Amino acid sequence: MVQNRKKEPIIVKRNQNYRKRMMEPYALLMPVLVLLLVVFAVPLINSFIMAFQKYRLGSPDIGFNGLDNFRKLFADDDLGLILKNTVIYVICSVAGQFVLGLTLALALWKKFKGRGIYQSVVFLPWAFSAFVVGLMFRWSFNGEYGVVNDLLMKLGVIKENIAWLGTPGYSLFVIILAMIWIGVPFFAIMILAALQSIPEDIYEAASIDGAGAVKKFFRITVPYIKPTIIMTLLLRTIWILNSFDLIVVITNGGPANYSMTLPAYMYTRAFSGYDFGFASAIGVILMTALMVYTLIFLKVTNYEEGM
Amino acid sequence: MGNKGKRRAVAALRVIILAFFLLFVILPIYWMAITSFKPHAEIINTQQVTYFPKTFTLENYKELFEIFNYGDFLKNSIILSVLTAVAVTILSVFGGYALARYRFRGKTAMLLFFLVTQMVPGILVIIPLYTAYAKMGLIADAPHLGLWIFYVITNLPFCVITMRSFFERIPYSLEEAAMVDGCSRMKSLRKIVLPVMFPGIVAVFVFAFIGAWNELIAGIIFTSEPSAWTIPVGLKSLIGKNNVKWGAMMAGGMLALLPTAIMFMVVQKYVVEGLTAGSVKE
Amino acid sequence: MREGMKRAAAWVMAGVLAAGLLTGCQKEGGENSSAGEKSQETVSLRFLDTSPSDVRQAYFEDVFARIEEDLGIEITYESTPLEDAANKIMVMATSNSMPDIVTTQDNWLGQFTASEWILPLDEYLEGKEGQFADTVTKIVWANQKEMYGHIYTVPDGMMVKGIYIRKDWCEKAGIDLESLKDWDYDQYFEVIEKLTNADEKQYGMTYRGTRGAFDVMMVYLQGFTGGRTYDEEGNCLLNSDECLDAFEKFTGMYKEGYAPEESINWGFVEMVDNFCGGLTGTLNNDSEVVVSVQNSMEDDQWTVLPIPKSTKDGKIYNTVNAPYSYTISKDCENQEAAWKVIEYLSQPENNIEYCKQVGMIPVMKEVGDDPLYGEDGVYAAFVEQLNNPDMVVPTGYGPFDSTDLQQGPLYQEIQKYLLDEQDAKTALDNICGMLEERMKTYLDENEGAVVDTPKTMQ
Repeated sequence: MVQNRKKEPIIVKRNQNYRKRMMEPYALLMPVLVLLLVVFAVPLINSFIMAFQKYRLGSPDIGFNGLDNFRKLFADDDLGLILKNTVIYVICSVAGQFVLGLTLALALWKKFKGRGIYQSVVFLPWAFSAFVVGLMFRWSFNGEYGVVNDLLMKLGVIKENIAWLGTPGYSLFVIILAMIWIGVPFFAIMILAALQSIPEDIYEAASIDGAGAVKKFFRITVPYIKPTIIMTLLLRTIWILNSFDLIVVITNGGPANYSMTLPAYMYTRAFSGYDFGFASAIGVILMTALMVYTLIFLKVTNYEEGM
Repeated sequence: MGNKGKRRAVAALRVIILAFFLLFVILPIYWMAITSFKPHAEIINTQQVTYFPKTFTLENYKELFEIFNYGDFLKNSIILSVLTAVAVTILSVFGGYALARYRFRGKTAMLLFFLVTQMVPGILVIIPLYTAYAKMGLIADAPHLGLWIFYVITNLPFCVITMRSFFERIPYSLEEAAMVDGCSRMKSLRKIVLPVMFPGIVAVFVFAFIGAWNELIAGIIFTSEPSAWTIPVGLKSLIGKNNVKWGAMMAGGMLALLPTAIMFMVVQKYVVEGLTAGSVKE
Repeated sequence: MREGMKRAAAWVMAGVLAAGLLTGCQKEGGENSSAGEKSQETVSLRFLDTSPSDVRQAYFEDVFARIEEDLGIEITYESTPLEDAANKIMVMATSNSMPDIVTTQDNWLGQFTASEWILPLDEYLEGKEGQFADTVTKIVWANQKEMYGHIYTVPDGMMVKGIYIRKDWCEKAGIDLESLKDWDYDQYFEVIEKLTNADEKQYGMTYRGTRGAFDVMMVYLQGFTGGRTYDEEGNCLLNSDECLDAFEKFTGMYKEGYAPEESINWGFVEMVDNFCGGLTGTLNNDSEVVVSVQNSMEDDQWTVLPIPKSTKDGKIYNTVNAPYSYTISKDCENQEAAWKVIEYLSQPENNIEYCKQVGMIPVMKEVGDDPLYGEDGVYAAFVEQLNNPDMVVPTGYGPFDSTDLQQGPLYQEIQKYLLDEQDAKTALDNICGMLEERMKTYLDENEGAVVDTPKTMQ
């Protein structure tokens, strides 16, 4: 039954204007494709060209410079630290959002009184502007008079104020926490929607066969929501990696690059310095890395059979 | 007996989990809410943290509307987000349907392209779009049109992919049955599939709405006159060189939440009530 | 199928129309007329303010209404959040759609002049320079001519720095403020130490750790180099032994706990908030901040002292700048009209009204003696510095665009030292190395370019 869902119908009735049928998917996708190509093709190609150019905005001296932009990046002593932060930031944020989102979705699965209201409330963080959340976190985690320290002191968890945003390690932690806070509802909604689409009768049938809850979870639930999880994880990873607004607002990468990620570095250093060649080089590295990640991820999770 | 105990343990665990999430979400929101009711001096007082406003004031909200055109921001944001959501939803239905129901050449490439668009740095997309738009001379007269196009396009890839997964969850047999009965493909899509898909459509609508609602950078680039700003742009402008208007900022953040909160309340039951409530009779 | 597509197309069209209508409607009051009937009587201009605030917007909208009446020039007020202003201008400039008049920050000029995004104003100013205060002619414009070859801006108002200090804390700590009117940096550091009482959450110094951290420190270091950043050949002078000592002394304030631990990651906003909020006792900042401080503190709680004198030569090294100067952009089609607007804004009565509201010092000689800027006014400490023959305006980073350095490396090197990841010498050497490299490249690439020099009002 589970497999049924995956079945891709092939149009077989050739007598019915077969050629027209073959064109249908293209026609349906045409508006989307045209829009995306028009808007994304140029910047995409441009960024690959600029990556190999000396390209400072406003400077008349523009021309190819081989791998200079990449060399400039690798010459930065902090690159190792930045890459490490990037990986930690992405993995912790994605994993945190996923695990909490899944837990929340499972807890919300079965009806209970007041579920509607409860849901409307727990999903709210998603509706906030990132920079407002960032500001709020920066300010709540202020080491001297932030509400977090005050609360932890009152609860007896800490004895001395912690300079959250001024301490290596902690500053990245605050960013990740803010990221998770914003992103949990998204995972929860996606997974919950997938959970709700599992037909009841499958579980009934499994119960009659004597399957336990754990078995049911792994035999029925997981396979059913797997495609959703894969796509959501993939898209969120891309999105989280690329988003730097929280980082810029909360710590601006500090102290001393301890919470800097590669996209935030690209934004604050390269674009703000009008160095589009340098920025594009970083962009190309990011895009390549993400592409490789995407392909491996889809392969490992066996998703591509549906693509 | 054992079973009953286990069930109770599960129920208890569930309550704990639900309580945890409520707290996790509510605490920061509570903090923002009470801050929006504090006068500036109390907000920046570094010697004492107050968990409830010592002086309760509505001044921040008043300031927001009387001095900062918040009414304009709200109107702009609502119109833009609704129009974005409408356009994205319609385009996604067709795109998602095609991806879910057909096998055709270039499908994998197309999906990969959708993913690639999510990886391009935003500013690189905005610049050529803005340039083209400026050439058409529309920046001054219709800033929201350009912004709308940008929002539709940037939200499309994700929404098409999501819509596709919703379509895939609906058994093809349902449609087939209709077509056997003599419905055309489009008619069966409209009459049979879309009603069943309603929750998915609502979900995509919400995604696109929120995507447009919270977008900041393009909003800053495309809109120049304060009366044309969206909520995020307006709130960001409360950060001055030397100080942040914390009270107004938090008040604005809370108010920005209202339309989405109402929308959540209205639509959440569709999103989670079960995508396929009446349709699974295979 | 076809029917469906048609319907979809209809929907999209409807959407476009709706959006078009809505945006069209909004403009009805102001802009429609400008696009439709560009008649001879009304000229339309766009004005971009890069530092939005309620006060500024109210002032400009008011003065623009008067301009429309008096000059028949209709001006649209545009704005953008401060932090994103540079990016927005960048996009507008590359799209050839910059507003006619742009308020420009000093540290953007390197990029803006190199890219020719703004126009030289020398011709317009010919014969009128004398109407402007010495701060403008002898410092701002002298600098621009030296670095960029032309005058590009008309200052909106002048800002100098001063040390904001808590009167009440000083009383408690037994510090006599009168005796400090002529203080030097060592006395300044002493005061900071005396005002610190970490147990009561009172710190003597508002340390600025992130963006712009080196800007403040550099001015102190320049007290040992006669106000210079580089020598004639472009060698950076700021890592001499004396400067290294000074660097250690300054950062020592943070390292020894006279500033909050977290201030390693503070920028502008936190500084003012924390001073106003009662966490820190002194604040090195521009006259602009007066308005904020007035709004959140009682008058008997604070006062302003001049920037401390150099312990080496007894001079006051202090920056003077016009934060949001008026410039005419390359995309301006009616430059005459734009210039008329700038002239109008610079009329003495408008200039002083503006300055009073935003906390700056007027730039026009004719503004007269306003008590606000007199001996007993809140701006006394700032104005006195400008009149002090011993005040020197040190040089900046140089005529090149240094945004990317300011955005990261300069302050990060200091942060690494504060975190004990490198010693002071390495930090300072690295900073000087970066600056020197930029300066020398600039000198190589621009024939005839000279290293700029410190300015005085004399």
